[in-house]
Amino acid sequence: MSILIDENTRVLAQGLTGTQGRRDARFCLDYGTKIICGVTPGKGGEEVYGLPVYNTVAEAVAQHEVDASVIYAPPMRTKDAILEAIDAGVKLICALAEFVPRHDTVIVRAAAEKAGATIVGCNTNGLISPGKSKLGAIGGDDPDEVFVPGRVGVCSRSGGMSAELALALKRGGLGVSTSISMGGDVTPGTPMVRYVEMFNADPDTDAIVIFGEPGTTAEHEVAEFLRAGECNKPLIALLAGEFQENYPEGVSFGHVAAMIQSKSDTVSAKRKMLEDAGAHVARSLGDIPKIIKEVLPK
Amino acid sequence: MYSLTEDRAKEWLATSSLPTPRGKAAASPQNASTITDEFGGKAVIKALIPTGRRGKAGAVRLADSPAEAEKAAADMIGTEVHGFQVERVYVEEQVDIADEFYLSFTIDCYPPKLLASREGGVDIEETHRNNPDAVIAHDIDPIDGVTEAVAAEIWRRCGLDADQVKVLAPLTANLYRAFVAADAVMMELNPIALDADGAPSLVGAMMGIDENGLARHEDWADDADGSLIAAWRGFNEREKRVAEANRRIKGGAIRYTELDGDIALLVGGGGAGLLQHDMMLAAGGRPANHTDTNPGAGIEEKFKVVVNSILDNPQAKCLLVSFNHQQLTRCDRKVIPLLEVLRERKVDAATFPIIIRLVGPGEEEAQALASEYPGIVYLPFDASLDDAVKTAVETRNRIVSEGASA
Repeated sequence: MSILIDENTRVLAQGLTGTQGRRDARFCLDYGTKIICGVTPGKGGEEVYGLPVYNTVAEAVAQHEVDASVIYAPPMRTKDAILEAIDAGVKLICALAEFVPRHDTVIVRAAAEKAGATIVGCNTNGLISPGKSKLGAIGGDDPDEVFVPGRVGVCSRSGGMSAELALALKRGGLGVSTSISMGGDVTPGTPMVRYVEMFNADPDTDAIVIFGEPGTTAEHEVAEFLRAGECNKPLIALLAGEFQENYPEGVSFGHVAAMIQSKSDTVSAKRKMLEDAGAHVARSLGDIPKIIKEVLPK
Repeated sequence: MYSLTEDRAKEWLATSSLPTPRGKAAASPQNASTITDEFGGKAVIKALIPTGRRGKAGAVRLADSPAEAEKAAADMIGTEVHGFQVERVYVEEQVDIADEFYLSFTIDCYPPKLLASREGGVDIEETHRNNPDAVIAHDIDPIDGVTEAVAAEIWRRCGLDADQVKVLAPLTANLYRAFVAADAVMMELNPIALDADGAPSLVGAMMGIDENGLARHEDWADDADGSLIAAWRGFNEREKRVAEANRRIKGGAIRYTELDGDIALLVGGGGAGLLQHDMMLAAGGRPANHTDTNPGAGIEEKFKVVVNSILDNPQAKCLLVSFNHQQLTRCDRKVIPLLEVLRERKVDAATFPIIIRLVGPGEEEAQALASEYPGIVYLPFDASLDDAVKTAVETRNRIVSEGASA
């Protein structure tokens, strides 16, 4: 198994007919992702790679069983595209666009919570269950070079770091069950702790790796979950951005969300909080496979 | 977050039919005097800078005559307050305040938050410290927003009487609508004043706008430089050039912030940049700058501007170009503009070492191109980000000790 997607996940691509949609969908299809149809308003009846395109998500789900939707809409149209998918009953939505306004991101998060849907993103390069399926640009045109199938679940606040984490695991002789780039926005569609819960429940994940940054309460919620004794798998955390503590609060050097708003948002505070809660804190990429091998039962 | 100055925040509220005092920006003491005269001879003079806590800094003064207004404006214009140059003042009519309250909306995490207090006119942090019960916090449902009924309940909990609640509940609901329509991520109304007749007035108003929402607000987008670095200590010339290129050239974005070390960083993405910066400090190296890149069409041009700024920084002794695995964007798209600038400026990579760690699509092409430039070190595919940082720090230490012994 894996979480959220596997070789059987049937995927709808919203915005399939656009440049990004065509390119990304090609790589996904080549990887084995079961994209079964697309939606682009006004392009209903067309075909892309032999896949039917519909005008609306409702029309598409009337014709096909859809498990997930990947959204290639531009930032200002992403909210409506996500709400359309939620209204049509789609339970997993991967929204890739960067620069989606924050008011839009909080509305889609609220709508997803009410509907029991999971949004990966916005501002993400997607998710991958190596050897089975991927949504979004994660892994690029040659995911096998980076993502090896295995039993480590990864959740990263940075899309680029998803690849580096997978490479570090690969170099250490380990592989990935599912890797989620949760998105670099201040208010992601799904909080980090939900993914940790999913990995904890997944029989094919033995260890969980998170990549954290300054700002937001993502890591606090994970620490809370560990403290509550709910997590029965080792959790390894790599956090970056400690240097930002040398500069005034409110100054951001990376992702929009990676901005320190108060002392508890800092990387050192988060490291301590996670360590106190029982997490293993890695100081470098190379540490991660070493720690996993130490802590997993032989 | 893009902070609106008070004149713009109040203009937004006024056009949303919300009760703001009359006010105008003035760029000269004479101008401040004329406006005060228009307002009946009395006014409040405030330094027009995009930040709060001006009162404590002496940047808010009451003027009971046009002459006093002129004096106050003359005292403020040209000074620096909280790191901002005061170029203009805001001249506002004096408001009769019988009672004052605090209200704010923020989205710095999920869900959005509302804070309200019956103690207006003082910092909310101070109110919270002295009397935590005086601050009511409410989680906003983004879909329902802040309805009149919800607002009435909040103000009742703050201890307001029925007449006050009757005024503030609809006002609060309208303010939230203005907050949403502005794509604001912060709106602080401190104080909301009620006069002796119970009529409301938004005396203090600050707004911060979501940069991602600026595409819906063209008049603001024009002068939002989008960086708090500017607020922190102002841009130097080399940083200004990058900020200017970001505005001028469409697509993608690069941020460039100089720091006090000597190893220049051209790093990314967001996460890998932070990680490498941390690791460099841990390895005893000190970055000459930080960069952050959002790839997109036009990024090559911006890349060149950043490389030029890096090469112009007299503190920089070497350069690390290191990104996380590129996945979709091509490595050679980064190397080509880099080499172009190096050739143009005839940079000697023996005395100004350049270390590249770029893996992913187009890596072989990028390696081949870089190998044509003498002295560039292009690390092999199996080099990790850790290795790249270590190599950069070792290289820097080597050239510094060679320089010392020469």
